[in-house]
Amino acid sequence: MTAPGSPWEPTTTSAVPPADGTTTAPPARGRAARITAIVLAVLLTGALATGGYLWQTTSAWQQHAADWETEAQEYAEQVATLRGELEATRAELDATTEQLDTATARITELADEKAQLGDENVASRQYLDYQRRVSEAAGVVATALGQCTAAQSQLIGYLNNREAYDQADLERFAADVEGLCDEANEANEQLQSELAQ
Amino acid sequence: MTRRSRRNRGARAGAVTALAASLAACAALPPMPPAVPDDIVPSIAAPTLAAADEERLSPDGFDAVQRMAVRIRNVGCGNLSTGSGFAVDSHTLITNRHVVAESETLQVSTYDGRDIDVATTGAAALADLAVVRTRDALPSSAALSGADPEQGEEVTVVGYPSGGELTVTVGRVIGTTTDPLHENLGEVLVTDAAVEPGSSGSAALDSDGEVIGVVYAKTGDDRSLLVPQSTLSELLADDDSFAEVDPC
Repeated sequence: MTAPGSPWEPTTTSAVPPADGTTTAPPARGRAARITAIVLAVLLTGALATGGYLWQTTSAWQQHAADWETEAQEYAEQVATLRGELEATRAELDATTEQLDTATARITELADEKAQLGDENVASRQYLDYQRRVSEAAGVVATALGQCTAAQSQLIGYLNNREAYDQADLERFAADVEGLCDEANEANEQLQSELAQ
Repeated sequence: MTRRSRRNRGARAGAVTALAASLAACAALPPMPPAVPDDIVPSIAAPTLAAADEERLSPDGFDAVQRMAVRIRNVGCGNLSTGSGFAVDSHTLITNRHVVAESETLQVSTYDGRDIDVATTGAAALADLAVVRTRDALPSSAALSGADPEQGEEVTVVGYPSGGELTVTVGRVIGTTTDPLHENLGEVLVTDAAVEPGSSGSAALDSDGEVIGVVYAKTGDDRSLLVPQSTLSELLADDDSFAEVDPC
């Protein structure tokens, strides 16, 4: 800014060198050079920093990849081990399943054998009961028939000497003998009934 | 504006631009790697068994359909016969009326040969069905299907044909018919599942393992006849449907 009251004079750069004979570099060119140098220095610094950072990053990523690879190998070993164990377990499971199938089939067989034995036992018991009933019936029949024949023989003896006995007594005795023989017939019918079963 | 000032300004602008470009380039630089984790958590969870499936696991290797089947020995007065049955709860068995008829004692055994004490026996008048109550607990039981099967549906019959081993046979529902034996009210189911004497009282199951009928007879052309589960459900719902069976 100019002082107040003085005429305004334009400032111009003279191309004429100073009168004392000294030479100076043009100020504009020097400043540009400085600026260029500073920019180049900054760029160089930035490039160096970037390069350093990239170098460090690359190293870190390399280490990272190596760590992952190591871990992947550990997991791969674990997977291989687990696969082996899985295969062994599967084989064991197959064998156990086969044994279980055999065991269940055997249990079914044993249950059936037990049931058949139970059936046979019941059938045998029923047959023994039947035999016992038949034997008892046969015994009753034999006894009744024996009594019947003995009474009939006795009645025949009485009838052969009819005059020696009271007629009414003879008739009562004959009725008793008939009753005995009827019982013998009934016992025989029961026996035949048992035998028919 | 002089050339010098313009040049200075250009230089400054260049410097600023270079600086900005450098900073922008910094943003594009790769970051440093994160630390490698010590342990890796798998993204896929390990398979686990659902609670419903756990309940279905067999404790001894036998299927649920085998565990709920029973063999019934009818010790009559001078005769002996065998039939099949199945559990519908821990103390109730279903079988046929003709399996428990003319009985002095009933002897029930399970798939693994265990004997089960019988408490009471009731027979239905309107169908060839009977209910046997047990004192001992039964190993397993089957649920009744909510509906009768359609034609063509798969059917599995579990029982003791000819009084022999526990047997599982598979067939398909052929259709329905009126009972040729006149033992049941309403229609009965016809299937091509093979049955034999002794299979009477066997459970007929659908693909879900639910009861769709009770085997009670076979036809001359080797087809099996079933009392449908709807008849069984109706009779079980009515307490008076089953009258106690007196021993012979």
